[in-house]
Amino acid sequence: MGEAYKIEGDTIVINRELNELDLFVKDFLDMFKKFTNYLLVSGYVSITSGRSRATEDVDILFLVLDKSKFNELFNYLIKNGFWCYQGDTAEDVYTYIKSMDSIRFARNGEVFPNMECIPVNSSKKAQFFELNNPQKAKVKDFEFLIPPIEFEILYKEIRLKSEKDIEDARHLRNVFAEILSEEKFNKYKHIIGDKNE
Amino acid sequence: MNRIDFIDYYAEKLKSDSSIFAQQKMLIESQMQSSKSFFRNHFKGQDFKTAAREYLKNIGKI
Repeated sequence: MGEAYKIEGDTIVINRELNELDLFVKDFLDMFKKFTNYLLVSGYVSITSGRSRATEDVDILFLVLDKSKFNELFNYLIKNGFWCYQGDTAEDVYTYIKSMDSIRFARNGEVFPNMECIPVNSSKKAQFFELNNPQKAKVKDFEFLIPPIEFEILYKEIRLKSEKDIEDARHLRNVFAEILSEEKFNKYKHIIGDKNE
Repeated sequence: MNRIDFIDYYAEKLKSDSSIFAQQKMLIESQMQSSKSFFRNHFKGQDFKTAAREYLKNIGKI
């Protein structure tokens, strides 16, 4: 027994053990974050805070990289146990990044779960905003960055809107009810509702 | 109880009883083990990446 989470300084500390999905994400992030800014978004945010559902994809936003930096990142991941759905060379896969399309990595010999890496630049206003305004979260010794909870809720309710997303948003509204800020909801609503991107 | 009612009920329970996370851990790990086992058998004897990419194309992931 005990509370599901607590706030320590500027960090949401989730009161649970690490599971295999966390370890997969942690392994990936330990490498990925050496090369670029990142933000874990969508399903993993709900699942990490207790939503009782499975997932195949862990979505991660990252600041778009130039070709040389991307080559380093790609080759580092490949050398350290991951494969990329989109191709076996940095050269091939960079064409996706140039087009601002997602790429996915899974552990060697496995298909799921995968890390869906979504490139972001300032043209994607809402995603660029959340990437630059992260919320710290922690499970045991695993520290990671997620969007502000209010932002994540509104993004699911206003932009994504599938049944699963609406349920995730509902879960987040309930679990974090005591710390949600109406002021932040009002601020983020304008950013997420802006369709000019 | 409909799905949204269940989500509300579950979240309320979770807030004061973190032991519920243990059930969630079991669910997640069971799904991951099933997935591993499925693909190990599904692609047996084939080049993994070639077979996986073919499968992923068929399900619209790439």
